[in-house]
Amino acid sequence: MIRVNHLVKRYGETRVVDDVGFEVAEGEVFGLLGPNGAGKTTTMEMIEGLRRPDSGEIRLFGVDAVRHPAKVKELIGVQLQSTALFDHLTTEESILLYGSFYQEMRPVEELLAAFNLQEKRKTLVKHLSGGQRQRLAIALAVVHGPRVIFLDEPTTGLDPKARRDLWEIIQRLKEEGKTLFLSTHYMEEAEYLCDRVAIMNAGQVIALDTPTGLIRKLGSDSIVEFAAERNAADAQLRQLEGVKEVKQSEEGVILLLTDDLRGTLSGLISLADQAGLALNGLRTRTATLEDVFLERTGKRLTDA
Amino acid sequence: MKAYWRLTWAQLLLFARNKNTIIWSLILPVFMMLALGTFLGNGGTSQFQLKVAVADQDDTDRSRSVIEKLSATEGLEVKEISRDKGLSQLKKGDADILVVLRQGLGERLAAAGKETDGNGQPFVQLYMDQSNPTVSQVGSTVIQEAVDRLNKEAVAYQPPVETEEINIQTRPLGYIDFLVPGILSLMIMSNNLNGVAATIASWRERGILRRMQGTPLKSSTFIAGQITARVLLNGLQAVAVLLVGYFIFDVHVYGSWLLLLLFILLGTLTFMSIGFIIASLARTPESAAPIAGLVSFPMIFVGGIFFPLRDLPGLLQPLVKAIPIGYLTDALRAVMNEGVALPQLWLPAAVLTAWLIVSFTVAALTFRWDVK
Repeated sequence: MIRVNHLVKRYGETRVVDDVGFEVAEGEVFGLLGPNGAGKTTTMEMIEGLRRPDSGEIRLFGVDAVRHPAKVKELIGVQLQSTALFDHLTTEESILLYGSFYQEMRPVEELLAAFNLQEKRKTLVKHLSGGQRQRLAIALAVVHGPRVIFLDEPTTGLDPKARRDLWEIIQRLKEEGKTLFLSTHYMEEAEYLCDRVAIMNAGQVIALDTPTGLIRKLGSDSIVEFAAERNAADAQLRQLEGVKEVKQSEEGVILLLTDDLRGTLSGLISLADQAGLALNGLRTRTATLEDVFLERTGKRLTDA
Repeated sequence: MKAYWRLTWAQLLLFARNKNTIIWSLILPVFMMLALGTFLGNGGTSQFQLKVAVADQDDTDRSRSVIEKLSATEGLEVKEISRDKGLSQLKKGDADILVVLRQGLGERLAAAGKETDGNGQPFVQLYMDQSNPTVSQVGSTVIQEAVDRLNKEAVAYQPPVETEEINIQTRPLGYIDFLVPGILSLMIMSNNLNGVAATIASWRERGILRRMQGTPLKSSTFIAGQITARVLLNGLQAVAVLLVGYFIFDVHVYGSWLLLLLFILLGTLTFMSIGFIIASLARTPESAAPIAGLVSFPMIFVGGIFFPLRDLPGLLQPLVKAIPIGYLTDALRAVMNEGVALPQLWLPAAVLTAWLIVSFTVAALTFRWDVK
């Protein structure tokens, strides 16, 4: 359905998107996960026909999107990162306006109901809350019933409640059989929503799999975290039972990636007694995509 | 087509809901007209008022009747004063003309019928500032006419031939008639040039245009919707200004309404195109509005909006002849005040059309949905 090969975009000397390639299947929720500046938006906007790639190939429904961006636009729905709407139009007027750009449009009633905006029908966009505005932005993306929907960081800046609401909407679109292509820098979001995730860093896809597949590739399913003032007994930590890898984040938090949580913990306690380690903020958790990112780049997703 | 109507309608809604549009495009021109029309146009009903100070040194029935006659003359504001005070008022500009009726005037007039020497004596003296041609010409004509009448009455003169004046206008043209087309022209320029530059640049910056680019919408449809909405807005403004002009200041459109609308359309399209160019060339959206202001502000002065172009220094004349605003103002003025038809207006029409073609082409070539 979407096929991208060797995609490159340069701004001056820097390659913002550097040889990116992947395929997205029909009905799939595909996520681009990465920190700000990783090249997610640029990649998406090239597929949407908003930017011309310097080289590489993009095919949507078999159509060459680089050479025929106009053909593609009728088939896709887009929501851009900065939700740019007319402040002085109402919800209904916005839907009618954007609907008029396409050959066919879904009935306004149906869209208002699907995005829970019936009561805001006559409300000016500037009086909508962040969550309502974002729901409207996605309603505008599906106003013509496209098969593929692009959502660029749809939940950035939303409060947890609004984010949950939006996740529900995205899941419903998936159940309707839509193909969803979304970008996010929240690893929980990618984990929760996406069938497959491409992790991007510095313009490149550094890992691509299902969320569980990515975590499984770490070879360890649990993480032990604690704070330490100095690089404490690195070699000894590495030799603890079950430990696959030891990482120290920039704030001085030490992470032990392990596939034997029980063994690692009991070994760690005795080591702490011997070496006089404080083990401040000690906690354990299951591995997440965040750990995958850390393992691949040596940086935390949020720091990067 | 659907998209075109929706875009036009949306833009009209945005105009109606934006306080600035209402203030700048409807209230401001009307206010400007009321203020300038009232102060500079002298209430708008009488276009010329002359302050006449009269020093009556004669103080007879005859001299008093002279003052009465002058007071009854339209356009003269007469007040009695001593000669010295009158002179100092004249120097300060509190009076335009000082008339001194010298002692002996009454006697002389009473004797006129009997004595036959007929030599005129300067019993009436006029003091005025001859550097102001309007005042000195009109003043001396009006006073001389009054004195002439006095002389004729004194000798019981019967004129063999009379002149009959037939007024073909409801009212002579005054400053307000000059001003209203100027304000129309100013509005067309500022709404479109400044309005388009600021709006489009900010839509581009906020990503509204980019969002539209993500749909099958064509840029030509988008621009057509903008043009239609702005032409309608300007038409509405023009009608509002003309109605206020008509009902408050009795300003008429002597020429063809159709021709007037044609020039309004031509001006709107030309200045819109220039606005689009500025919006595209401005490096940041914040700089679009100041650039537009920088372009349009001088045009207010060299556009013949508040005073005639011929009053400008000769140095500026080549500039005036090169830019479109003066032609638009002249054409609107010619149609409204003089009822001039299109064949005599070929020059402004041609210059505006040329500007439109060039600026539209540049606007179309430089138009971008995107910031970069």
